[in-house]
Amino acid sequence: MRRVVRLTVTLLRDWVRNREAVFFAVLFPLILLIIFSFVFAGGPTEFDVGVQNNDLTADGEPTALSAELVGAIEEASPLAVDQLDATQNLTQVENIEDATNRKRVLIIPKGFSERVRDESARVRMAVIQDTTERFQGNISASQQQDIQAALGAANGTQRDGAEVVLLTVPDDEGAGAVESIVDSVVATFNDRALGIENPTVAIQTEQRGQEGLGATDYFLPAFIVAMVLINGVMTVPSAVAQLKRDGTLKRLAVTPLRKHEWVLANVLQQSILAVAITLVLIAVAWLAFGVTATPGPLALALLLLGTVAFTSLGMIVGSVIQDPGSAISLGGAIALPLMFISGIFWELDLMPPTLQTVAEFSPVTHFHRGLRELMILDSTSGVAFTFGFLAVLAVVFLTGAVMLTNWQEFD
Amino acid sequence: MASERSQPVITTTDLRKEYGSTVAVDDISLEIEDGEIFGLLGPNGAGKTTAIEIIQGLRTPTSGEATVLGLDIQTDLHKIKDRIGVVPQSFHTFERLTVRENVALIANLHTEPLAVDDVLDELALREWADDPFHSLSGGYQRRTGIAMALVGDPDVLFLDEPTTGLDPAARRATWEQIEQLPAMGTTVVLTTHYMEEVEYLADRVALLVDGHVKAIDTVPALINTYAGELKVVVHLDESTTGTEADALEATLRETADSVHKTDADKLIGVFGERQAAQDTYSELHDIGTGHSIDLVSPDMEDVFLTLADSTLSPGGELQ
Repeated sequence: MRRVVRLTVTLLRDWVRNREAVFFAVLFPLILLIIFSFVFAGGPTEFDVGVQNNDLTADGEPTALSAELVGAIEEASPLAVDQLDATQNLTQVENIEDATNRKRVLIIPKGFSERVRDESARVRMAVIQDTTERFQGNISASQQQDIQAALGAANGTQRDGAEVVLLTVPDDEGAGAVESIVDSVVATFNDRALGIENPTVAIQTEQRGQEGLGATDYFLPAFIVAMVLINGVMTVPSAVAQLKRDGTLKRLAVTPLRKHEWVLANVLQQSILAVAITLVLIAVAWLAFGVTATPGPLALALLLLGTVAFTSLGMIVGSVIQDPGSAISLGGAIALPLMFISGIFWELDLMPPTLQTVAEFSPVTHFHRGLRELMILDSTSGVAFTFGFLAVLAVVFLTGAVMLTNWQEFD
Repeated sequence: MASERSQPVITTTDLRKEYGSTVAVDDISLEIEDGEIFGLLGPNGAGKTTAIEIIQGLRTPTSGEATVLGLDIQTDLHKIKDRIGVVPQSFHTFERLTVRENVALIANLHTEPLAVDDVLDELALREWADDPFHSLSGGYQRRTGIAMALVGDPDVLFLDEPTTGLDPAARRATWEQIEQLPAMGTTVVLTTHYMEEVEYLADRVALLVDGHVKAIDTVPALINTYAGELKVVVHLDESTTGTEADALEATLRETADSVHKTDADKLIGVFGERQAAQDTYSELHDIGTGHSIDLVSPDMEDVFLTLADSTLSPGGELQ
C-alpha cells in the first residue's frame, strides 16, 4: 500500500503541473457550468409584442374600452408590450418587421369601443329576449309588446363584433404562444363586456411535489459526471499510453512496483481529483447560482464508485492502445456517445422512445440520476440500483484493467 | 575494475527468445560474476536488449533458464526487482517532476533504498535536484536515470546503451561514474555497440551477433585471441585507382592472417606477427599514391571483424 500511496502522490503532483490536464479537468467544466447555467436559467420567457391602439377620442386619447384591453394585455406576464404610434397604417403593410421593427403587432382598430358596446348590447338583448320567451305566460300582453319593440330597435343596430388584428412574421416561433395569450386576454375582456365578472368555469392551479429543477441544479451533477467520464475514459488512457510510449512505464515495471499497484494508484489519483473537482464545482454553483447541493456520504460514495468504474475502463483502453492520440480517440468514442444518450445534458423525455430505452442500459444515465437524487433532490430513490450497477462495473473493469495492463513485453 | 571473482550473480542457461520465426536470443549461456562490469557488445538488433530484458523480467523467455542473485526469474521476480537497478535504453521518466522527485519516487518503491540526497551528491546532481526532468540536457537526464537506478541500493545494475546520443564529454563523464560502481558493491551489466565503451569499462565482454554469443572473455584476452599482434589499415580515397586498390589488397592478402574490406573504403590486414606487419606496411607504401596507411595495435573492432566478419558503424549497424 505504501507504494500505491507514493505513486499516487507522484501522479497527482505530475497532474497538477500539467496545465492542459488542469484546464480540461477543472476550468473547462467550470466554464461550461457557468455558461449553461446562464443560457438555460435566464428566468421566465417573455414575448415582445407591439400594440397599436387606433381607437382614439376626438382629442387623441385612447377610448376607455380600448385602454382597458391594452391594460389587460400589458398585465399578461409573458408579454412584453410596447405601444406603437397610431399614425402609421399597419393593416396594409407587406412586412410587419420592416415597418415596425417588431415580429408581432396587435392592432386595435378605430371604432373598437363602439363595436364592443353594440355587440354587448345585442347579446344582452338576445339574452333578455330568450328570457322573455321562457316566461311569456307571466307577462302581460302590453308588456310583451313594449319588450318586442325595444328588442326590434336594438336588432336594427346590429353590426359585426369588434375585431383586433394580430400581425406576425412567417418564421415567428413565438406567434402561437402570443396568439393564445392574447386570445385568453380577449376572452376575459369579452366576459366582462357582457357583465360576467366571475367565469362559469375556472382553473385552479396548485403546486404539489417538489420544486422543479433549475438549470444549475440540473447541470451540476451533469458536469460532475462529464468530468469523471472525460478524465477517466479519455484523459487516463492518453496519459497511460504516453507513459508507455516514452518508456516511463517500462522504467516503473523494473522496480518492485506491481501492476495492480500501478492500476490502483491511477484509480486513487482520479478518485481524489474527482472529489476535489466536485467540491470546486459545488462551491462555484453555490456562490454564483445559489445552488445548495449537499454532497453527503452517499453522494461521495457514488461519486467514488463511478470514478473507480470509469477510470478502470480508461485503464483498459490505455493498456490495449499504444498511441496516445488513438487512446484519447477511442476513449472519446466511448465517453461522448455515453454522455449524449444518457440524458445528462437534457431530459431523457426529450429523446425518442427507442433512445430512452437504450439510455436505461447506460451506466452514465444511472450515475447522473443517482447523483442528482442524492445531491440536489435529497432523495435516495433508485439509488440502490445505481450503487449495485456501478459496483458490478467497477469490479469488472478494475479486474480487466489489472489483467490487461502489460507489465512485460513492452515495445 | 573488479579483480576478485566470486559467485556468479547472473546465470543464463540456453536462454532463448523467439518472435514467430525470428530468433532474437539464441540459446545464450552466461555467467556474470559479482562485482564485475560485464559488457554485452553487438550491433543493433543483435539481441542485447532482449537478453537483458528477459533477465530483468520485462520479457518472458521462450525457453531456457536464468537466475539473478540466485533467484529464479520465473518464480522470484518480485524479489529480484527489489535488488536490481535498471537504466533502460531511451530512458525517460515523469518529465514535469524534478530530479529529486523522480529519484525519490523510485526510492519509495524499494524496500531498503539509499538516501536520495546521498545519491544525488554521488552523481553530482544536487545543483539540478529541483529542476524539472524535461529541462535537463541529455547527459543530465541520463545521469538522473543512473541515480534512479542506484537509489534502490541494487546489487546488480543494468545499463542499456547508457551513452547513446551523448556528446563525447558527457559520455566520458558517464563512463567515469560507471567505473566507480563496482567499488560500491554493484555488479554492472552494460549493453553497448560502442567498442571503446567496452574497452574502457568492461572487465569481461560477451560479443553478441544475431542473438548468438560469439565469444566471452576479458578485452585483452579477446584482442589477443581474435585480433592478432598488429594491424595495417589502408585508407582508400577518391584518387585511388582500381588497379592500385587491387594491388594493395593482393599484397595484404599475401602476408596478413586475415583481410577485411569495409564500406568506409578501408582495407584492414590483421597480423599475428609484428615483423610481418611492419614489412607489409613498407611494401604498401610503394604501391601508388592514392591512399594512406596506418600501422596500429588491434582493438575490439578487430575482434569484431574477425568474429562477425563486419565492423560496426557509429550508429551500431553492421557494415
